[in-house]
Amino acid sequence: MTDAAISRHQARAWLSTAALSRLVCGLVLLLSWEIAVRAFAPAYVAKPSGVLAAIPRVIVDPAFLQATGITLAAVAEGLAIALAAGIPLGLAMGRSLIVDRSLRHYVNGFYAVPMIVVLPLVSLWFGYSGAARLATIVFAAVFSIIINVADGARSVPKDYLEVASSFRSRRLRAMVDIVLPSATPYLLAGLRLAAGRALIGAVVAEFFTAIGGLGYFILYNSRTYKHDEAFVGVLLLAAFGVGFELFVATSTRRFLPWYRRDEHAN
Amino acid sequence: MSRAWSRHAPFWLSLIAGMALWEIVGRNTSAAFMVPLSTTLVRLWEMLASGELWKQFLDSAALFLAGLAAAIGIGMPAGLLFARIPALRIGLEPYIMVLYATPMVALIPFILALMGFGFGPKVLVVFLFAVFPVLYNTIEGARSIKPELIEVARAYRSSESALWREVMLPYTLPYTMTGVRQAIGRGLVGMVAAEFFLSSTGLGQLIMTASQNFDTGGVFAIILIIGLLGVALMRLGLFIEQRFARWRN
Repeated sequence: MTDAAISRHQARAWLSTAALSRLVCGLVLLLSWEIAVRAFAPAYVAKPSGVLAAIPRVIVDPAFLQATGITLAAVAEGLAIALAAGIPLGLAMGRSLIVDRSLRHYVNGFYAVPMIVVLPLVSLWFGYSGAARLATIVFAAVFSIIINVADGARSVPKDYLEVASSFRSRRLRAMVDIVLPSATPYLLAGLRLAAGRALIGAVVAEFFTAIGGLGYFILYNSRTYKHDEAFVGVLLLAAFGVGFELFVATSTRRFLPWYRRDEHAN
Repeated sequence: MSRAWSRHAPFWLSLIAGMALWEIVGRNTSAAFMVPLSTTLVRLWEMLASGELWKQFLDSAALFLAGLAAAIGIGMPAGLLFARIPALRIGLEPYIMVLYATPMVALIPFILALMGFGFGPKVLVVFLFAVFPVLYNTIEGARSIKPELIEVARAYRSSESALWREVMLPYTLPYTMTGVRQAIGRGLVGMVAAEFFLSSTGLGQLIMTASQNFDTGGVFAIILIIGLLGVALMRLGLFIEQRFARWRN
């Protein structure tokens, strides 16, 4: 065999053992969950077999679909607002020392505030309504976008901007055509963080204000002892969390292949 | 003007501007929605003086520290164990990644239904929020150990304990500390979530009572306290991470 063939063979062998050990671990986890619940817990507690049986029932349930749609739309809307507000602010902070020095402590400070504490306040301001949820999502998401865009704008190579200014490009033009594109990987990293936080924000807002959505669907079903059904909602939330991570990771690799950033951005 | 002046002036000026803005907006809106900074500080002082704030703070701190300690005490050894047994690591990695990306708040209703209102379930919430960053980053660190290092150690007949002390720990610890920093932030969210949605205690209870009594000054005062706590903890986390980052090259 040639070297390439050997290494291909080894790679395939490694892949199959990896897949096998993943499968075995997954099965062991599910099985021990199932056994633990059957042995020690009351009948209503979620267990893998029950959740599996509930999936076909729940995903055609109009109430579930509607709740999912509401929450996702709110998260998308909140992220759009956070992007629209966060990108200009981040660019300004990254490119202007004065703006950076006067705003950075506020942005870092608000970023460190556990978003959940603003719930009593936003429900006071916006009532127990979708607006309170939207405000929570925006609060949860916007600061990680600002911080990452500012980092990105700060790291633009000086040469690019010097070339632009020697061609007498206006500052705004340079901002849109040079700074923004080169800050995009940072923006994506910020968006990944922001999306995770936005999802948490939406769920806690629904728990707190009891307005309709996926979080409330989980809360309501678990209160009425339909844990299997409620757990399908948790699975969907997990899928969104993972899906967004993968989406950002693959789009970074696909559209910005020259860019390698560590996972440690957060 | 000195350089120090131009360096620090924007910070102080914007801080004063922010406080003035808070004061002015607060004075010109209904007290039910927003109170000025001065009222917030007076309310804060009242709570401090009565000893209420301190008592509830200690309550919250006990919850936070118990959850965080459990997360580090379980997450780190588990991560190191996975580092040593690659088959286990490869097998469990995708599941840990999924749990790391899952919003753990969604599990709170189940914890409430199963475990009720005691201290234990609340510690579990903080633990669940905090453990996966520790575990995930420790495994990440374990992956960074070059197999050659372990092979060399083996070739020199290193004992298992020496292998852990000299190779495993130094290589994974900086990564674990990144996880600990994230865990501190997430644990704080978990703490407030547990105090809101399980039995009401600590700073979370103070906020809830204040907002139910339409004591807006109280709400702002506690949010200010938790916010400052968040900033201080984030600083602490960064400090810890950077202390260990020197090992990582």
